[in-house]
Amino acid sequence: MNTVLSLIVQRVVYSIGTLVLVSMIIFAAVEVLPGDVTARILGRESSLAAREKLRIELGLDRPVVERYVTWAGGALTGDFGMSLTARKPVSEVVFGRLGYTLALAGFAMLLYIPLSIIPALVQAFFPNRLPDRAISTLNILVLSTPEFLLSTLLLFGLAVVFPIFPPLSQVSAATGVLNFLWMITLPAVSLAILLAVAGTRLLRESLIDLMDSDFIRMAELKGMSRTRIVMRHALPNAMIPWLNATAINFAFMIGGVVVVERVFVFPGFGSLLVDALQLRDVPLIEASVLVAAFIFIAVNLIADVLAILLNPRLRT
Amino acid sequence: MIDSVLSVRGLTLDYRTPGGTQRAVNDVSLEVRRGEVLGVVGESGSGKSTLAYQMLGYRQPNARLAGGSVMFHGTDIASLDRTGLQELRGNRISFVPQNPTTALNPAMTVGDQIAEVLRKHKRMGSAAIETRFAGLMEQVGLGQIPGVADRYPHRLSGGQQQRIAIAMALACDPELVILDEPTTGLDVTVQQQVIELLKSLRAARGVSMVYVTHDLPLLRQIADRLAVMYRGELVEVGDAEQVFTRPHHAYAKALLAAVPQFQAAPEATTTAAPGAPLLEASDLSIAYGRRRGFLGIGRSEGARVVPGVSLAIGRDETLALIGESGSGKSTIARALCGLVPPAAGKIRYRGEALAGRLEDRAADERREIQYVFQNPDASLNPRMRVAEILARPLDVFFGEKGRAVRPKVEQALADVHLNLAYLDRFPHELSGGERQRVAIARALIAEPSLLLCDEVLSALDVSVQARVLDLLRELRARTGVSMLFISHDLGVVRSLADRVGVLYRGELVEVGPTEQIYTAPQHPYTQRLLAAAIGTHGAPVAPEPEPQAILRREARG
Amino acid sequence: MVAQPLAEKPRRGAGLLAVWRSAPSSFRIGAILLGIHILLAVLGPFIALYPQQQMMAGRPIQGPDLLHWFGTDQLGRDVFSRTLHGGWIVMVLSISGTLLGVAVGSVIGLACGYVRGWVDEVVMRIVEAILSIPFLVLALLAVSMAGPELAGSPVLVVTAVAVIYAPRIARMARAAALDIVTRDYVTVARLRGEPTLSVVRREMLPNAMGVLLVEFAVRAGYAPILIGTLGFLGFGMRPPTPEWGLMISEYRNLLTVQPWAVFGPGLMLSTLVIGLNFFTEGLSRVLGRSPMRGAA
Repeated sequence: MNTVLSLIVQRVVYSIGTLVLVSMIIFAAVEVLPGDVTARILGRESSLAAREKLRIELGLDRPVVERYVTWAGGALTGDFGMSLTARKPVSEVVFGRLGYTLALAGFAMLLYIPLSIIPALVQAFFPNRLPDRAISTLNILVLSTPEFLLSTLLLFGLAVVFPIFPPLSQVSAATGVLNFLWMITLPAVSLAILLAVAGTRLLRESLIDLMDSDFIRMAELKGMSRTRIVMRHALPNAMIPWLNATAINFAFMIGGVVVVERVFVFPGFGSLLVDALQLRDVPLIEASVLVAAFIFIAVNLIADVLAILLNPRLRT
Repeated sequence: MIDSVLSVRGLTLDYRTPGGTQRAVNDVSLEVRRGEVLGVVGESGSGKSTLAYQMLGYRQPNARLAGGSVMFHGTDIASLDRTGLQELRGNRISFVPQNPTTALNPAMTVGDQIAEVLRKHKRMGSAAIETRFAGLMEQVGLGQIPGVADRYPHRLSGGQQQRIAIAMALACDPELVILDEPTTGLDVTVQQQVIELLKSLRAARGVSMVYVTHDLPLLRQIADRLAVMYRGELVEVGDAEQVFTRPHHAYAKALLAAVPQFQAAPEATTTAAPGAPLLEASDLSIAYGRRRGFLGIGRSEGARVVPGVSLAIGRDETLALIGESGSGKSTIARALCGLVPPAAGKIRYRGEALAGRLEDRAADERREIQYVFQNPDASLNPRMRVAEILARPLDVFFGEKGRAVRPKVEQALADVHLNLAYLDRFPHELSGGERQRVAIARALIAEPSLLLCDEVLSALDVSVQARVLDLLRELRARTGVSMLFISHDLGVVRSLADRVGVLYRGELVEVGPTEQIYTAPQHPYTQRLLAAAIGTHGAPVAPEPEPQAILRREARG
Repeated sequence: MVAQPLAEKPRRGAGLLAVWRSAPSSFRIGAILLGIHILLAVLGPFIALYPQQQMMAGRPIQGPDLLHWFGTDQLGRDVFSRTLHGGWIVMVLSISGTLLGVAVGSVIGLACGYVRGWVDEVVMRIVEAILSIPFLVLALLAVSMAGPELAGSPVLVVTAVAVIYAPRIARMARAAALDIVTRDYVTVARLRGEPTLSVVRREMLPNAMGVLLVEFAVRAGYAPILIGTLGFLGFGMRPPTPEWGLMISEYRNLLTVQPWAVFGPGLMLSTLVIGLNFFTEGLSRVLGRSPMRGAA
């Protein structure tokens, strides 16, 4: 049990280290590397006086290390400063939008689980036969379709030609729960499909690899049925890599939402990030990218810990 | 009068490979009699595993039955459907795998893995299963381990895992058990225990066994009858003693002759020539796997594999180190050549101190001590041609390169009896034995005084081993090179070494002239090791190959 | 003892035809698709009926007909001609971005894997940290930090692709190096006292080539999607460049009236990626089956 605990502590410490490092990288990328930040924000033609005013407002006159410490310290307490464009605290802006996006990602995740496991199981039952080949081919076709194209096609098919779902997902605080779910169905489906395909491919690979292993042959030579072999002997051993892939996939959604939210005009975290980058709202950019990295690290940490807890080799 | 459990009739089986169809088993007919142990021997690729698996109706996807039958109580197993096979397997005919570590499901407790067999074939309830399990554990000698049912396989040792696999095979009281190299992955002493267990189980239950192995001396201890396979054909079958003492078929004779017998070296050389030894190690202590860690995380103290060993190798002398896996044999060799700097102790070479770290040694010191690795598949760069492999040492040690080295390279290849046409080949175009010859040639081309041979025969087939061993003897006689010969194969060691050192858990428990060690071992561990190897018939235990699925290798062709 | 008899020597260079015949069908489909795309990319600008910028090549917003296979856009530009003109842009950007990323990444990764020690530790921590920024976010960040002067320049797009790929390749190349370093043949070279550079060049690189090649192909297969996504979000090439992702973004509001303006470039983009993916899958299977497997 001690090894399990120390492994978990090790993962947590490691993740915190990564988060600190990534905050430095983001800070450097946004405030240090690009030279005169004020000129970038205000444009080349802006007056020197205006730049100087902004420089003081952003605190750029202070040394880099001091600025980083102030910023990172604020970030720890959820204070990311004021947004330059919204004229509101950055945290208010970010966390408001983040809620929408997490709801969307969570919905997509629910669809992802069956969509990734069931086809892989079908493939494992009929390896190299028609169902396996058909699903593999379909997977490659879907994987070869860019997310922006796939969501555009879904929108065209299910909102324009057959107007089942609303073409736009412009939710707001006033939207009711059922209506909200209805409106995010299409974006969630298009997010889930792409990720499920990646999950299916990985699960199939591990299952097919496992089906070639000695202990599966042993089970076969013990007279176990095909169903029991796949479900009881192969599947549990394939779940750990699947879990890791799922964590990466969930984290990928944090990036993937950028595209989907844009297609469906969904006011989430992704569109906020794009707006912030286009408007050069420095505090907002720093906060959004850091939050995205934080979610990525946190989700991977959870998956790692789960994998440690589930690993039979670490069980007593 | 002959009560047969299973009979194979004209069995013929093909593998489809990219290179075309390959016959794996050709027109084989034999009987398995009630209560007997039938040994099936042959080298890898001889079709012995494929034959055995047909008795379970198991075929690789690329295998095709070309003819014949496997009759078991009036049923032809070879053409039985899936449901029929499921009824049979694990129930009336069961299986003991080669490597229990990979054959047991890592994500399932051993109790569950045995219980599922009983539930499926005997429709037992939980209570009945529990009783049965306890009985089985008693029989295979695991009765004293508390809570064994709830353990995952990784919490059992290799020997214990194999006992679990045997218990699983016996769970439903089968009439026939197929054993596929069941002791190959195990240490010598554990191997002996498993053999004893199998013998006692046979005596108690009268179950028939088909025992597949390439290890002839081992079969001699347990088999009643012997079937010899060669290139897919059954070349000889008969009473074990008769096959061992008066084999009919030429191949069977050759196979038996290839096993290094328990006999003294042809010309017993005098031990350690007088004068200063070539290499001398004193109080060598070696630790492995020390890690610094990051911010104090993941720091670990290396396990001290060798706590303190002193040994000397004389000029023109072959010193062998024997011991089970994990006893520190290879670690010592790696320390001597500088790969693993010793934590403490001194190495003296030709009377001069030798640096512990490879980087601190002079080029000539590196040249003088050459290392030949166990597995030539790994020690030859797959992307270099043989000529280039042999030319590298010439470039590094003698500064010779280009066309000038060609005669030397050709000579080196001729010295190990390989055709010159091999110079332009890549290692994968050579057989295992040929590759090991190239590796030996590469070591000798540097003109060393000391050759460290680390299990150089154990990755090779038995008959190939004998030829490589002959080559080593010949080269030693010609060049006068000294050798540190590391092996767990007591037969080979006796026929080659001048002196033998016995390692046990990193300590050299006994060193002495070969004959003295073999005839009058002093240390109890040496006595046990020899007893396990000699077995009941006075024959040595043949080497173990790398644990790998022989069947898969056969299938690949 | 007599010399060993010669084992049968496999024939080398038995002809491309034989390789083609023995290759998996996915490889052949991929190769054909890829071949068509390369041909179209090279010849496209010459066989296109209209210059990509020519307005009023037909009536504005007109569906497909014989002269305008993908119809026309709001400005009456021929969508098919524009798509043809875009092919080589997509390919050149994809290949250069991937090449840059693979080159930088593999040098970093192989070096870290062989040298080890604190350099490796520090570099790999930074790589891990960069990898924890979702890659699309990283690309958008990289593009917008470059400033407005560079916006829409091909150099920026290539850099963005390389920035995303380099850390991923570095991690992969390091893992490959760590694996190769443990092989006995590298140990043998160390025992000989070969200099570091010689070990990396003679022993490691040739054995890592297989992995790097497959990795390059996999990444190259995703690069068109990446570039398209950047264009679609307005962070990639700028109008009037006929980059396919950008075109899809421009024509999205025509979806209800002239969907072919979206389908056309989309079809081209997808078939290119499908071709690359099939090709890669086949390639890795061919490489995996070859005796050079020691490299993987």
